[in-house]
Amino acid sequence: MFADLPWNVIALQLFFGVALGCVYVLLASGLSIIYGLLDVVNFAHGTFAMLGAYAVFVAVSMSGSFFIGILSAVVIVGLIGAVTEIFLLKPLYGKDPLLPLLLTFGLSVAIPDGMKIIFGLIGKPVNYPSALSGATLLGPMIFPNYRLFIVLFTLVIMISLWLFLKKSDLGMIIRASTRDSLMVQVLGVNVSRIWTIGFAMGIGLAALAGAISVPMMSATPDMGVDMTMVAFVVTVVGGLGSLGGAIVGGLFIGLVVAVASFIAGEYANVAMYFCMAVILLVRPRGLFGELGRE
Amino acid sequence: MRSRGSFGFVALALLGLGLLAVSLFVVAPAEAQEKVIKYGTMHPLTGAYSVLGRDQQRATELAVNEWNAKGGVLGHKIVWVSRDDQLNGAVALRRAKELVEEEKCDFIGGTLSGAISLAINEFACKNKVPYVAYCQSDMVTGPDQCKFGAAFMVIPSSAALAVSKYAFENLGKKWFAITADYRWGHSLLEGWMWQSEQMGGKFLGNVYVPLGTSDFSTYYAKIMAANPDFIVMNNLGADQTAAIKQASELGLTKKMKIVCSKTAMHTIKELGPVYDENVMGGMTFFWKLQDKYATSKKFVENYMKKFGDPVEQDGESGYVATNVLFMAMEKAGTVTDKEKIMKAMEGLKYELTKGPEEVRACDRQRVQSYLLVRGKGAKAKDWDIADIIAEIPGKDIIMSCEDNAKKLPFSNIKLPK
Repeated sequence: MFADLPWNVIALQLFFGVALGCVYVLLASGLSIIYGLLDVVNFAHGTFAMLGAYAVFVAVSMSGSFFIGILSAVVIVGLIGAVTEIFLLKPLYGKDPLLPLLLTFGLSVAIPDGMKIIFGLIGKPVNYPSALSGATLLGPMIFPNYRLFIVLFTLVIMISLWLFLKKSDLGMIIRASTRDSLMVQVLGVNVSRIWTIGFAMGIGLAALAGAISVPMMSATPDMGVDMTMVAFVVTVVGGLGSLGGAIVGGLFIGLVVAVASFIAGEYANVAMYFCMAVILLVRPRGLFGELGRE
Repeated sequence: MRSRGSFGFVALALLGLGLLAVSLFVVAPAEAQEKVIKYGTMHPLTGAYSVLGRDQQRATELAVNEWNAKGGVLGHKIVWVSRDDQLNGAVALRRAKELVEEEKCDFIGGTLSGAISLAINEFACKNKVPYVAYCQSDMVTGPDQCKFGAAFMVIPSSAALAVSKYAFENLGKKWFAITADYRWGHSLLEGWMWQSEQMGGKFLGNVYVPLGTSDFSTYYAKIMAANPDFIVMNNLGADQTAAIKQASELGLTKKMKIVCSKTAMHTIKELGPVYDENVMGGMTFFWKLQDKYATSKKFVENYMKKFGDPVEQDGESGYVATNVLFMAMEKAGTVTDKEKIMKAMEGLKYELTKGPEEVRACDRQRVQSYLLVRGKGAKAKDWDIADIIAEIPGKDIIMSCEDNAKKLPFSNIKLPK
């Protein structure tokens, strides 16, 4: 299948897979943080990504700058996340674990409908920022600039996230809370606030994924459904609650989709779910999962 | 006291009798007098094609209102019921059942997916309920044919024939296709491959893409390597938007043309500057036809007066389907004899939204022209988003009745794996 193709085409294909995987990494790391910290299975994760895409659309139409768009997507949608956590999720903690799941599922149905009322059914386009359009030539290789940007951007975000969690005091508290929130509380930390921050962070990451996707596909009210599915597949493959798992899982699934669409396009999605099924059978806790480890 | 009490009783009794009498006069004669036709339609109001579904629904409303304003059909008022089929075959079948069994609709119409229309057609045939399909559907061909179905948009292969003819004459011979992986997409590809054989085209390859795909970049490396003269898009809606957007991101629209077998006004609008003069698409109707036909002008104006935006082809198709159904009733002189009404539809001539057209007698397929439009890109203003570059007459692209019945000429086409 690959033998009769020039190597630079194959390399480009793999690069597309990595760029696609980067969007998945952002999506899944947010989902993973939320699950690790709050034990909440966020079925509305893709929905918040969709809000990020719309935030970019609004901000770009007002300011004209894509980068202001990305910034406002994180801030606005992150705040919406915080408000959601405080007013909707908090009252459900300690009760039936099914309740937060049902709540987020409800949000994933209600929010898109709300967006349809506000923005209409037709997708809202965002153009590629002019600084990032076109392609870079590296010898015989062509790299579309926007995809290069996605890769670099994700790299920067993930490194900052890692530094924040490993090196900062707040990051340390967050990590401690995922292990033993009761102990952290006993030490005098307001865990409730940590949860809010963690949820807002996870939602902010989802918003980023939606924000950087929007020039490629335009913002539509229903775009969140697929993103939620992808986030779950990646998280299951990488391992629930693990940031490293989200990164490896995201890139892995991106490459799987790229290779599958090369060989048999109609099976690109199926390949993704197939990977998930195999991982579930062979290693139920995922590649790097913390949960279920003996 | 006593007299007042009895007065009160009498007053109450009189009031009661009065109400009863009024209700008898108001309700009873109305029930007896009102002669109605119940027409039920299904549209994808949620899901990937919801914008187009809404358009169908609106245009149907317009047609029904116009007939009712004229006094209905043969003295019968039209009662119209519409449902969301969610672009899902199982849901659509459930809705069709509801419309017929619970709402007591005698006539049904609508849907936007060819695959769904086939299912509805089967249901309609079994239950002997006339069904007018709004979408590109294969149900009028070969074994799927039944005397209760009629199709009002060009069938996929006709659309492919019209667009491919222009493409091979004007854009080059080497082509590569991106095809939505379901029956509609496959039918389009079939038409393209047949035409390619007839006109000396060079087919370089095809990728089947699942419905609802948002990232097409992973399909484009293959296309860049093949370097065709043009890329054929056999998809629609959000899928087409993403595919064209990403082709432009990769600079493909500068190197090759993009030709959509079917495109939509909202897709062009949404893509804005990206849908430039290198991107072309087929349509059964575009509002600029109003410069050519008086009927188009009247239809577009009436629609815009009611709904603001100009009408899409899917709405136009529904408008014609609904109108023809009622015209057939008038021609047949009955609103109840369904077989007679379907018979009357055969060979029915009319002029509603474009030039003169007819419903072909052999298979109740609307014979209509197909347009090719070219985007205006950055020069687009408001809804002036594309130019009509060709109108291919219906008789040139419709399969002959003989071929149609035998599923020729495409039966020898082998689709790529």
